[in-house]
Amino acid sequence: MNDFESIKPQLNKIQRQTLVVGVVALVVCGFGAYTNPAQFFQSYLLGYIFWIGLALGSLALMSLHHLVGGGWGFAIQRLLEAATRTLPLLALLFLPLFFGMKELYVWARPEVVAADPILQHKSSYLNVGFFWIRSAGYFLIWFIFIFLINKWSLAQDKSEDTSFTERIQKISGPAILVYVLTMTFASIDWVMSLDPHWFSTIFGFIFVIGQVLLTLAFAVIVIGRLSNVKPLSDVLQKQHFHDLGNLMLAFVSLWVYVSLSQFLIIWSGNLPEEIPWYILRLNGGWQWLALFIVVFHFALPFMVLLSRRTKRNIQTLSKVAIAIMFMRLIELFWIIAPNFHPEGFSVHWLDIAAPIGIGGLWVSAFVRQLKSRALLPLNDPRVEAAFAIKHH
Amino acid sequence: MAEKEKNIYGIMAEFDSADELVAASHSTFAEGYRKMDAYSPYPVHGLAEAIGFKKSKLPMLVLIGAIVGGVLGFSMQYYASVESYPLNIGGRPLNSWPSFLPITFELTILVAAFSAVLGMFALNGLPMPYHPVFNVPRFALASRDQFFLCIESKDPKFDRKETKKFLESLKARTVVKVDP
Amino acid sequence: MAEEKDKTKTESPFIEPGHTYGSITDKISSMILTRKTPLGWFIGFGIAFSLMMVLLFSITYLFMKGTGIWGLNIPVGWGFAIINFVWWIGIGHAGTLISAILLLFRQEWRTSINRFAEAMTLFAVAAAGIFPLIHMGRPWLFYWLMPYPNTMNLWPQFRSPLVWDVFAVSTYALVSLLFWYTGLVPDFGSLRDRAKNKFAQKAYGILSMGWRGSAIHWHRYETAYLLLAGLATPLVISVHTIVSFDFAMAIIPGWHATIFPPYFVAGAVYAGFAMVLTLIIPLRKVYGLQDFITIRHLRNMAKVMLATGLIVAYGYMMEAFTAWYSGSEYEQFMILNRMRGPYAPVFWALIICNVVVPQFLWFERFQSKVGALFAIAIVVNIGMWLERFIIVVTSLHRDFLPSSWGMYAGTFWDWSIYFGSIGLFFTLMFIFLRIMPAISIFEMRTLVKGSKKKIEN
Repeated sequence: MNDFESIKPQLNKIQRQTLVVGVVALVVCGFGAYTNPAQFFQSYLLGYIFWIGLALGSLALMSLHHLVGGGWGFAIQRLLEAATRTLPLLALLFLPLFFGMKELYVWARPEVVAADPILQHKSSYLNVGFFWIRSAGYFLIWFIFIFLINKWSLAQDKSEDTSFTERIQKISGPAILVYVLTMTFASIDWVMSLDPHWFSTIFGFIFVIGQVLLTLAFAVIVIGRLSNVKPLSDVLQKQHFHDLGNLMLAFVSLWVYVSLSQFLIIWSGNLPEEIPWYILRLNGGWQWLALFIVVFHFALPFMVLLSRRTKRNIQTLSKVAIAIMFMRLIELFWIIAPNFHPEGFSVHWLDIAAPIGIGGLWVSAFVRQLKSRALLPLNDPRVEAAFAIKHH
Repeated sequence: MAEKEKNIYGIMAEFDSADELVAASHSTFAEGYRKMDAYSPYPVHGLAEAIGFKKSKLPMLVLIGAIVGGVLGFSMQYYASVESYPLNIGGRPLNSWPSFLPITFELTILVAAFSAVLGMFALNGLPMPYHPVFNVPRFALASRDQFFLCIESKDPKFDRKETKKFLESLKARTVVKVDP
Repeated sequence: MAEEKDKTKTESPFIEPGHTYGSITDKISSMILTRKTPLGWFIGFGIAFSLMMVLLFSITYLFMKGTGIWGLNIPVGWGFAIINFVWWIGIGHAGTLISAILLLFRQEWRTSINRFAEAMTLFAVAAAGIFPLIHMGRPWLFYWLMPYPNTMNLWPQFRSPLVWDVFAVSTYALVSLLFWYTGLVPDFGSLRDRAKNKFAQKAYGILSMGWRGSAIHWHRYETAYLLLAGLATPLVISVHTIVSFDFAMAIIPGWHATIFPPYFVAGAVYAGFAMVLTLIIPLRKVYGLQDFITIRHLRNMAKVMLATGLIVAYGYMMEAFTAWYSGSEYEQFMILNRMRGPYAPVFWALIICNVVVPQFLWFERFQSKVGALFAIAIVVNIGMWLERFIIVVTSLHRDFLPSSWGMYAGTFWDWSIYFGSIGLFFTLMFIFLRIMPAISIFEMRTLVKGSKKKIEN
């Protein structure tokens, strides 16, 4: 049993090490950018979309927790908050994409648009200026919600007055609403428009569910490492891991549900404006990656999470969570990379280096934020009750 | 040690609360009785375990049902569309596996659900048109607000007088014999 | 510890204090066994039964004359029958949601409404099931939909979503029936033990299968019930997903959209909760069940309605945005035709009913005002019917070829069958209320546990 203070040196070490790894990897990536700029931006986008999913998924999961309550939510509340506070770093890391617009997005190349009537139709939405205005808008909105929730949560730690908790609860409903809306359009702008001819109304929804699943997996991994640290060790019960496991099971199922719905509808319709997206991703070697995703993103975690014993053991649950996080990266790779490699399956060393680089910086920032506050919310009137129920 | 009783089903004790029933069940099990059953108006947690119930086979049964339903569901469609009567529909492959998924899923659920319910009733031995416990007039309250524990005469340790005395020692509200 | 738990819940309880196991059993079973049937029941049953007679008459006439008595024609070959089918199936979904999903989430408040909601599911599915059958030109050959070895050597077309529907809806009906009956068995035992007249004793005795409340039976029973809930949850989602596939698998603008599955499921739950509120608000008043179905229940249902309503609104928005974004002229025409075409008033009425009015539910004032909730629920019921009307009719009435354009309106027989199906639903509902416990007695007993302990302490 350790308390939070006594593991802080360890956390400092992690913070330093991940920072070094991140900086080194990004410097190496910089070298890659010099030799192969197109590939650099593709890999960078992949890494970026993956890691920002944790910050935004945390915003969603945190708001959900404030709406429905429950011990599992209070156990991970502080690490979700810490993850959301990495948003300024992520906003900064978004900027390099500015130099890769033409490399990444077909619709940003005037000569292509000039020859394509459909892209001309879309150009009032898909143009570089509006893209950046929208992205700035998303970040602003996310920042406001994240700032307010974190501020009130800290204020509640320092005050007996429970009005801060009530304020957080009040803002949580709108926060989810706004998150789903902005994330939908962000996913269209950043990822779906990589193939500007293709469209799918469920795409944003799939993205939202993928992000929440990713965040849940991340939370399980972190809580698994911290479960023997006071005060978490005092309140955490098997029941909480069970709940988190069930949530993962629910989101794994939801993920396969929305993904399969999209596939089945497009496959059955077989329309020339929709099906190319899947033809590309189910041929030339990419189909093996798709199969790999079906097995390891859905089938295996699903079967394992059905078992009660797995869900009540945080160490096994963590292993499943690591697999899910990894598979989310693979899935994003399967969504993003084939756009640039229609000739067939290919992985570049930058596809590995860029996620590691961004991830190093992100984890370092996350640990720094996590250290800065108590591990459990103080003075929140609901915490006691949420944990008390399970005691007897 | 005790002589077997053929002319009664068992002896039944009545309790006012679930906690008393659970406590009494534990004592009875500790005393060495095995053939007994407890009755309550709602599911009481830990009661089945207290009278020595181990683990339910039901989840395994449902899993088997699910697998059987899924495999049968897909095979049926595969057989009909590929083997029995191959037909070109809109250029789709004969084995249109994506289109077969919905029905496969529905049949998985259907067979699993029937396994759950029919399995539960079968394992419980229901429907059962006659059961001796209903001969006790106050047993009607087992479906209202009272709790009962019945030690059956089949139990090797059963002895009419001793068992009755033992049950009375558990502070039961009433202790009566149950006609077969 | 128990006290602490109570403290948090006392703000507004799920069951009014003072109830014991006995009082719950007596109060709920008296609704069926001893209490005089209220006058309201006879009036309601009379109206519902008359409407059901209208349904029987209309269907008889339909079978004599054929579907030509409906407003269907080319290009609108799917009309009221499909609209009503989707509407009713959707209403059924709230029942399964309450009984299965809320059970898995350990939401205690479901206990006093789940039985009722499950019954609603069954009767809604029964009302829904009529429509595809009578829509067939030769309804007496309905069994051709089932796969069985036959002399023609033919199989159903397994690539067709309409065949998926047959499997989905019949599985749904059977599993809902199992779930409902399983829940009822211990309560039939209670009724058997309470019933005074011989016939009722025998009838409930048979239905209870000799349930005696044995601890081991309860143990398996709870396992089976939880497993059923775990199976019913994905099932209910799959059912409306497959209903949405009926549309989405086609390549008709306005139908072929990937958002359809989640948006249909949300719409189903939305309509279903509206119907639960529509039914339960008068019910708790007539039978004096305010102790068991408290304001807190109504508020929770209002919140679920708000959440699912927002998902539905999200669906509308994504449809409109993607229609523009796709750059496809058919998609764009479809959405503009909805907004400005001949059915524009219906479209805007639907937006007001489904998107604008429910926004009042953000405010606590409306969540806990019974009259307002009732009004909003009725509005949503209407709105969800209009939504299906818009989806079915606007996409069909403007065919790809302008020479095939047409208009659609329901005839007298369309409406009489629609209202008649409402009569069928309510007739079944009234019979259910009269002969079966509308609130799960044994599950309500588990809610008392805390309050009883407190008295003992």
